[in-house]
Amino acid sequence: MTWLMHRLTPGGFLWLLINEVRLATRAARQRRGGNAIWALLILVYTLAGFWLASNLVGVPIAPTPIALNLVLAVCVLAASFMTTQAMLRSQDTLYLAGDLDLLLTAPLPPRRVLLAKLCGIATNIIFVFAAFTLPVALPVALLGHPGLFGVPLLLLALAMVSACLGLAITLAIVRVASPRTARTIAQIVGAILGASVFLASQFLSAGPGRESAGRALFGWLMRHNFGGEGIGALPGRAALGDFPAMVLVLGAAMLVFAGAGALLGRVFLVSYQNAPVRLTRNRGRAKGGIARHFRGGLFATMFAKEARLLRRDPQLAFTIVLRLIYLVPIALPAFTHGRGPPLLPALAFAGVLIAGQLAGSLAWLTVSGEDSPDLIAVAPVEKSAAERAKLAAALLIAAPFALVLPLAIALVSPRAAVIALTMTGACALAAGLVELKFQRPGPRKSFGNRRRGSFLVGLLTFLMTGLLGLGAGYLVWLIG
Amino acid sequence: MSEAALQIEGLSKSFDKRVVDNLDLRVAPGELYALLGPNGAGKTTTLRMAVGLTRPESGSVHVFGVDALAEPLAAKRLTAWLPDEPMLYDKLTPAEYLGFVAGLWRIPPAEAAPEAERLLKWLELWEQRDTPCEGFSRGMKQKVALAGALIHRPRLLILDEPLTGLDANMARAVKDALRAVADAGAGVIVTTHILEVAERLADRIGIIAHGRLLAEGTLAELRAQAGSDALTLEDAFIRPTRDPEAAAGA
Repeated sequence: MTWLMHRLTPGGFLWLLINEVRLATRAARQRRGGNAIWALLILVYTLAGFWLASNLVGVPIAPTPIALNLVLAVCVLAASFMTTQAMLRSQDTLYLAGDLDLLLTAPLPPRRVLLAKLCGIATNIIFVFAAFTLPVALPVALLGHPGLFGVPLLLLALAMVSACLGLAITLAIVRVASPRTARTIAQIVGAILGASVFLASQFLSAGPGRESAGRALFGWLMRHNFGGEGIGALPGRAALGDFPAMVLVLGAAMLVFAGAGALLGRVFLVSYQNAPVRLTRNRGRAKGGIARHFRGGLFATMFAKEARLLRRDPQLAFTIVLRLIYLVPIALPAFTHGRGPPLLPALAFAGVLIAGQLAGSLAWLTVSGEDSPDLIAVAPVEKSAAERAKLAAALLIAAPFALVLPLAIALVSPRAAVIALTMTGACALAAGLVELKFQRPGPRKSFGNRRRGSFLVGLLTFLMTGLLGLGAGYLVWLIG
Repeated sequence: MSEAALQIEGLSKSFDKRVVDNLDLRVAPGELYALLGPNGAGKTTTLRMAVGLTRPESGSVHVFGVDALAEPLAAKRLTAWLPDEPMLYDKLTPAEYLGFVAGLWRIPPAEAAPEAERLLKWLELWEQRDTPCEGFSRGMKQKVALAGALIHRPRLLILDEPLTGLDANMARAVKDALRAVADAGAGVIVTTHILEVAERLADRIGIIAHGRLLAEGTLAELRAQAGSDALTLEDAFIRPTRDPEAAAGA
C-alpha cells in the first residue's frame, strides 16, 4: 500500500486513510499469526465456498421474507460484535496508539485525522467478518448470483456504523467517568457483551425445546416481519443485490460516518488532550507503611508482583475470563439433565479442562510475559529457581478458581471430588510445565496473540488438558 | 594493586561483525569511570557482558575478584545494572518495585524497607511512592530504576547512558547520586556518547571505538596524550574513529 501513498497528496484524507488501512492490515497480519495456517484455512474455506456455489447454480436466491429476516438477524448479531470490537479499538486509538501525538501536532485538521482513524477502526473490525463471509459469498456471487456482491458492501456499511457507535460509546463513558474508568469499563463491557451473546446462544441451544440466540432472534423477527418490509428489509435487499437498497444502506452508513466525524471530532480531541493528565493522577496514599511491600523469600516476592500486575490489568483478567467462558459449551452438557452425560463426570471433565487452561494462561503471563526479563537475568537468582517461583505463583493464583468445581462435586460425592481435585492439580501443573518448557518470551500486552508462531504448543496444551479432563470424567464415572 | 571493582581482560564478542575486540578494562573501587564512544562503539555490549546478559566469546570478567563467568550468581549479588531503558513494571508503584527488587536480591525486609524509604526521599520520589509508574516521565522512571539499582547496596554499579532524556535538574541529581555511591566505595561505570558528560562526571575516562579501548586515563592524562594542538578530547580521539582515513593521515 506504500506505493499507493506515494501517489496521493501527503496529509490528505485519502493518504491518511491508506495509512490507517496499511497499519490495520499489518496489525491483523501480526495478530492472526501463523500466516501459512491461516492462508490454508481461508483457501479450504474458499474451496468449500466454490463447492457450495457450484451446487447453488440455477437455484434462485430470492428476497423472500425468510431470507430478508435472516439477513437482518445476522446483521444485528454481527453489529453487536463489531460495536464491541470498535469500543476496544477506540480505546487503543485513544490511549495506546503512539501516532496520535504526531498526527495532532501536524498541520492537519483534527477532523480529518479523526475520520481517518475511524476508517482504521472500521477496517480493523471488518477483517474477521470478511474472512467468515466473503469466501462463501463471493464464489456464490461469481457463479450465477451476482446480487450477492451486495454482501461485502453491507459488511462495509455495518463496520462503518459500528465504528462510529463504538467510538461514541467510548467517548460517552470518558465524558461521564475518567479515561481510566472508561478504559476499564469498555474492557469489561466488551468482555461481557462478547461473552453474553455467546453464552446466551449456548444456553438457549442446550435445553430441550430451546433454540440458539440467533434462531430465537430470527424467529422473533419473522413473527413481527421486521426484516420483510420497510427499513428493516434494506439490509437484506442490499445483500441480495437490490441496487436502490445498496445505495441507501451505503449512503446512510457514509452519512453516519461523516456525521460522527463532525460531531465527535471535538469531543474526541478534548478527551485525547485530557487523557494524559487524568491518566497520570495520583491514586492517593495507600494505607500502611512502606515495609508492607517487602517480603522475605523469592516465592513471596514473585507472587506479590504477579498478583498485583494481574489485578491492575483488567483487560488481561477479562481476556482470561472470556477464554474460560468460551470453554463453557464443552462443559454445558453437564447441565442438560437427561440429555447429556451424567452430571459428576461432566463436571469433573469441565473442572480439569478449565483449570488446565487457566493455569496455562497464567503460567504464560508469569513465565513468558515478563516485561523486565533483564531485571530477572541480572538478579542473583538461578533462572530455574525464578521460573519455578513464577510457575508456583501462577498456580496459586489459579487455585481458588480451579477449586470451585471439585468443591461442587464434593457436595454430592467426596470420593469423586478427591479424583477431580487430584486430576485438576495434575492438569494445572502439566499445563504450567508445558508453558515453562516451550516458553516464548513476549510483552504481557501480547497475551491475546501468545500463540503466534506456537500453534502446536496451543494444540498440545488443549489436547493434554482435554485428555486429562476425559480421564477425570471417566474415573469419576467408574466409581459411580 | 587492590582488588578491582571490575576487571575485564581480553573480552571479545561478534554479532554480524566484531563488536567488542579483545578489550581490557579495570575499574577501581570508589572510582567513577566513564566509557565514552560514538554510537555502535561497543559500549553497551561490553557492559551487558559484564553483567551477564550477553555471553562473551572469549575473555574474562571479574567483579571484586569473583569470576563472573564461572560464578555468575556471586557476581550478580555485587552488581547493579541500569540500562538506558529503565527495567520497570508500569503497573507497579515505586515502593512495590523496590520491594520486588529487594526480594530478588534477597535483602531482609527489615533492612530493605528503611533503605527504600531513604532512597525514595533522597531521589524525591516519596510523594509518588504509591502511584503506578505508568504515568511517570522518563526522568522519574529513571530515578525509580536508580533506586532499584541501589536498594541492594551494590559494590559495582553499571549504568548505560544514564543521563539520556533527563532535564538539567534531574541530570544533576543523578550525577550527585552516582558521585555519592562512588564516594561510599563502590565502583561506578557509566557509558555515554557525550564528551561533556564524561568530562564532568568521571574520575577516569575510557575511549572506545570499534570495540577497542583507544585511550584511557584521567581528563588531564587524556589531554596530555591528545597533545597541545587538540582543542578537545573529541578532536583527539573520537573524530578519527569516525573517519579512518583522517586517522591514518593524522
